Amino acid sequence: MTKLILVLLPVMLLQHRISANATETSAQPPNTQSRPSQQPSITVQELAKRQAPALVGTGEEAKKNALAFIDWAGASTKSQDEIVRKMVAGARENPDIIMAFCDEAFAKQDVDHSRALVALSLIGEARSQAGMECMVKFARQPLPEKGTVVEGEIIERTNLAMLQAKAIDGLAYLRNEKADQFVVEAAAKNPSRIVRAEAIAAYLWNHNYDAKSREILKSVIRKDEVIFLDRLVKQADEPKESFNRKLAVYLKTHPEIMPPGPEKAEPQPKETVGRPPKF
Amino acid sequence: MKIFRILLAGLMLTFVFQSSVAQAVCNQSSASTADNDLWNTHGCWQAFFLWSYKAYDQRQSDWNNRGWNDACNANMEFPKHWNAAYLVTYGLQDANCCSWHGTTDYRKLGEAAGSNFHSGLYHDAGDGTSLFGGFTPHTFGADELTTYCPLYNATSANGNPGSRAGDFMHEGWHGWLHKYNWNNGSCGGHRCGTPGACTAKDACDYFYFHGVGAFAFGALYQTDGTANRFHSPNQVQVEFLCDVADYPKSWVPNSVRQAARSDADARAAARFINGPGYKCGNPRPW
Repeated sequence: MTKLILVLLPVMLLQHRISANATETSAQPPNTQSRPSQQPSITVQELAKRQAPALVGTGEEAKKNALAFIDWAGASTKSQDEIVRKMVAGARENPDIIMAFCDEAFAKQDVDHSRALVALSLIGEARSQAGMECMVKFARQPLPEKGTVVEGEIIERTNLAMLQAKAIDGLAYLRNEKADQFVVEAAAKNPSRIVRAEAIAAYLWNHNYDAKSREILKSVIRKDEVIFLDRLVKQADEPKESFNRKLAVYLKTHPEIMPPGPEKAEPQPKETVGRPPKF
Repeated sequence: MKIFRILLAGLMLTFVFQSSVAQAVCNQSSASTADNDLWNTHGCWQAFFLWSYKAYDQRQSDWNNRGWNDACNANMEFPKHWNAAYLVTYGLQDANCCSWHGTTDYRKLGEAAGSNFHSGLYHDAGDGTSLFGGFTPHTFGADELTTYCPLYNATSANGNPGSRAGDFMHEGWHGWLHKYNWNNGSCGGHRCGTPGACTAKDACDYFYFHGVGAFAFGALYQTDGTANRFHSPNQVQVEFLCDVADYPKSWVPNSVRQAARSDADARAAARFINGPGYKCGNPRPW
């Protein structure tokens, strides 16, 4: 029996090798059973014509409409941003709609990160009392201490921090005393640098970068994060000339952030076959 | 008999190991909202994936159990990969006034062909969960660019087309560093530990600040060898993500833009020794 196995082993290994090679040499292009689709340029035009679902109703109807609206808003284009903003503002006084957004943000935070992000954006844009309570609750969730470590970070922790940063954007956008207090507290004490950075940026932006808001933040934030007060925000549609001027000032004000010059790597010896060993 | 038992045990272990490798794939039961929204803009454009698998040098043996023959199943890795490639190829506005870099830069960085940006490379996918991506230079044959499960799983903040494409840029830039023999650190091509303001571990870079328009479209690969004109992998990734968020084509869905911005801002705050890097957009919720 032993002999049989020993005889068969090379055959089996050879067969495995041949089959692997056969796969490589007979590789087929990727395939699908789906029907060929039309040109994306046509699809995009059709999508642009889709009407936004109405953001109305109470109870179950409100929930159904809110979920349909999240579907539509996530897929909406830049030119539809103002439509989204107006419709959400119109639903500000409808707690059932806002709560449906809120429930969806919580339900999807561990399942579909980008959907939770969209839902939180809508809550923030609504500027409502119900929304404020939801965002505070969301931002108060403890960040996980254990989980899957990706490149030194616990990915579940980073995921939640990114969503909390979005909730903080919404709280700062409320521009009321209570929400501001929460944002300042987050800027100082949230355990994630991602959230603290966003809180500082959102507070300043919503207060037009005035001196008073800088002072308020400066008195509470970590000393090693004071630089966030001057951090450059690359505003959409800002012409390069004005941005580049601000960059020059930033670098002059903070020479410590200039990196050292890049270094060349040690030359890597090329792998060669070389001469045969001495006989 | 002893030899027989050892051989039998070895063969069994081999088969068990092989079958476990075949089953260990990323989550193939769902796709993120951002992936689905982008997908719906092309509805599985077959002409594109028949082009992109060559442009990204994807090989059947690497993608067989990841949707190679089910290329319109948006839950599988291969379709998610080409969904991201679609965003890179068509999704950017290339605004002369404001974009960091142009489509021509990002395409050359991500695509397989050797160029000023890197030597020839091929794309595969890995089952790991402790990395987003990896660049492995090979002495013989093309270099290898691997993307891992956190870029494909909807639960992850990075499981969306912008972040996935952002990783093509990041890993492609390791290819640039390799091609021109630059040392960006000895921990997987990054600085070791958690130096300076960086909160990641063994994944930190310097940010080499530059103005808008400092690099003409197509000139991202250029450097003068000083900190005034240089990029790091995380930086290229942040600049790409900001371009997706702020200067996309008009049809790019909001969920894609939001996810890209969120990724860019988080990375800008957490990945740089001399951070923070730039923050894109503005903090308005919508």
